Amino acid sequence: MSSSIEPRNKQVVSFRTRLFTAMMVIIATLTALGLYLAERKVTADAQRNLQQIFQTELSSVHKIEELRHAALADRCNALAGKSRIHAAIEDDAIDLLYPSARDELRDLMEGDEPPPEQAAQWLHARFYRFLDGTGAVIKPPNPYDVGRLDDKTEAQLALTKLPATQQVGYIQENSEAGSRAIDEVIAVPISSTATGEVISALVIGFKPLELEYKYTGMKSGIWVNGRLHLPSLPEFAQASLSEKIANAVVGSDPAENNFQAEVDGAPHILFYKRLNPGSLFPPAYEISVYPLSSLMAQLHRLRWQIGGAGALLLLGGFVASHLVALRLSAPVKKLALDSEENRAERKRAEAALASTAQELERSTRYSADASHQLKSPMTILRIGLESLLEREGFKPEIYEELSTLLHQTRRLTGVIDDLLLLSRMDAGHLQIASAPVNLSQLVDEWLDDLGALPDSPDVKIEKEFPPGLFVAGEKRYTSLIVQNLLENARKYNRPGGRIQVSARGNGAGVVLTIGNTGRTIPPGEDIFERFHHSSTPSAASGHGIGLNLARELARLHGGDLCLVRSENDWTEFEVRFSAADGVNAVA
Amino acid sequence: MWSNAILSIIPASLLASAAVEGRVELPKSHGAPVQAKRYEIVTKGGVLSTQPPLAVVYLDGNFPRPVSAPVKQVAQKDLTFIPALLPIQVGTRVEFPNLDDTYHNIFSYSPAKRFDLGRYRAEERPIPSEVFDKPGLVTLRCDIHEHMRGLILVLNTPYFLITDTEGRFRLSGLPEGHYTLRAWIDSRTTREKPVDLKNGQTLHVDFP
Repeated sequence: MSSSIEPRNKQVVSFRTRLFTAMMVIIATLTALGLYLAERKVTADAQRNLQQIFQTELSSVHKIEELRHAALADRCNALAGKSRIHAAIEDDAIDLLYPSARDELRDLMEGDEPPPEQAAQWLHARFYRFLDGTGAVIKPPNPYDVGRLDDKTEAQLALTKLPATQQVGYIQENSEAGSRAIDEVIAVPISSTATGEVISALVIGFKPLELEYKYTGMKSGIWVNGRLHLPSLPEFAQASLSEKIANAVVGSDPAENNFQAEVDGAPHILFYKRLNPGSLFPPAYEISVYPLSSLMAQLHRLRWQIGGAGALLLLGGFVASHLVALRLSAPVKKLALDSEENRAERKRAEAALASTAQELERSTRYSADASHQLKSPMTILRIGLESLLEREGFKPEIYEELSTLLHQTRRLTGVIDDLLLLSRMDAGHLQIASAPVNLSQLVDEWLDDLGALPDSPDVKIEKEFPPGLFVAGEKRYTSLIVQNLLENARKYNRPGGRIQVSARGNGAGVVLTIGNTGRTIPPGEDIFERFHHSSTPSAASGHGIGLNLARELARLHGGDLCLVRSENDWTEFEVRFSAADGVNAVA
Repeated sequence: MWSNAILSIIPASLLASAAVEGRVELPKSHGAPVQAKRYEIVTKGGVLSTQPPLAVVYLDGNFPRPVSAPVKQVAQKDLTFIPALLPIQVGTRVEFPNLDDTYHNIFSYSPAKRFDLGRYRAEERPIPSEVFDKPGLVTLRCDIHEHMRGLILVLNTPYFLITDTEGRFRLSGLPEGHYTLRAWIDSRTTREKPVDLKNGQTLHVDFP
């Protein structure tokens, strides 16, 4: 038996393992998914926030720049309209151009550089130059008046043609000290007052406005001509970023975008936006570099949090899955155990059943055999006694003796018949040929017989049943039941007692009650037991088969026999029969 | 007015008796209908010309300067120069009377004559003037009124005139000899033809 429990235990264990594994996989997947989604959201949020900062800052600076450009454009247009400037350009007096402009632009050029925080409000030009009809720079006679520039820087001011509208550009200025600076320039066309034709252009250079970020660690600069000018970054970092920006802006040339890059070994996000879309000057981009360290820290923290939550969940899941597995597997285990017990139980029962059946069969066979073995000699004995009794010439005591012997032989034959019937019933061979039986008539006949018996005590018989009460059954067995009960009622009665027989229809059945005075049956005594012998010795005693047989027969007919009461000098039995269909009148 | 100019030449050419007449093919007028005596200077592609188109025809040569500087006037009236185009001989003094109720500041950056009269009003005396002693085209401008344009064509010769609006001209009282006859049409276009002038003869020259 233990060998069969072993694999069952294994099955239970493997069921639990599978359950736990499944939960682990689900929790791990959920954790990973949560981590992935959260990280993606944080990254996207951070990127969006940074982009928003970039755009907000840039747009605020752009607004200031636009105002500045508009103010400058006004000045330039006024200047370009000046007769002397036109005279100088149109009347072949280029030498007078800068001197004429000097007076006009004096206020723009005068004074020192404004402090950075006031740069926005100041219209301070660092230099200015005029372009000739081909877009080339007209050399100033005295560079000190118009802002000194080296040749290389000055060359960047030239345009391939004169602009029809105001142009914004950025140039890289190399100062004597070797440091680089970015200048913002705007080129304003000068048109002939007479014809409206563009005859020249004035290019004015300014210090560009710097983005002032509240966001710490953020760096901004300008990328132009393939070079990044972002002074707060080391040279090599600027150089490496320049290439990346060049690749980004040259590829598809979007006016605005962002990408992630390593700056100085740390991850940064870089935003760029074209500063001078559509300009004749080389494209320039505003660059803002944001360190992702805080984002990384946030991500790191998030990873820990979600990882921790995942671990907790996993732990909880482990416990939960363990409990669930236990709960789930307990019935399985119990089922396995139960079924094991059931199996053993069944085997035991089967074995018991088998032995019982064997015994039953044996006893039935024995009973049947015994009946037959007994019946033949009894018949011989009875016939012998009867023939002896019919002979003449014996003494009268002999006849008396012979008569007693014959009576006993008949009684014995009755017992043997009963036993034979019982054994047939036990073997299940007894078939009932059901037919309507007139119970009233049957009882009457037996009561008549009862009175005719030689040793009948002096009992009074009271009967109370309607005539013609039919029951369903086989007549000889129904008769046997009635005979048994009536004989008992007579046999166990007391002198001067009475027997009461009543019968009534009871719907689908008929109830026959037979009561008698006399000694009562002690409580707890199973009088329906086969071969029962009363615990109280009595002169009147049977062979202990009658009641048993009567009950078996009653049950065989779909009815029953039971003891209703046995007290105060009154013992009453009740037999229930099935009513014969459609025969009984209303009881 | 150019009849005056021609008349003023007469004393200097009393001895001469040759003449030239003909027609200058003028650019097509593309402005408003012609108003007599009122024309203006226009710039197109950096080229200054009169509108309606007129030409200055002059006999080029190395003629002596006048002993006493002749005096001419270019007035500012209604924010324009009158006349808008003035041919003069080298050494002529030109006065610039202000006939408007506002300031004018006449100046020129032209290589032939750079000057700046500064601001002045109508009552300014003496009338601001400049002597033009170098041949060439002088563009007159007003520093205050940017649209104002005037032209003074400074010539080496006393023999010159402005054609009528058809381009017709007649120069008389010219000296005998071999010369070049030029027709100034705009600041960039001057046509020329060699002429042999003989006394008592009228030469017909057309500038196509």
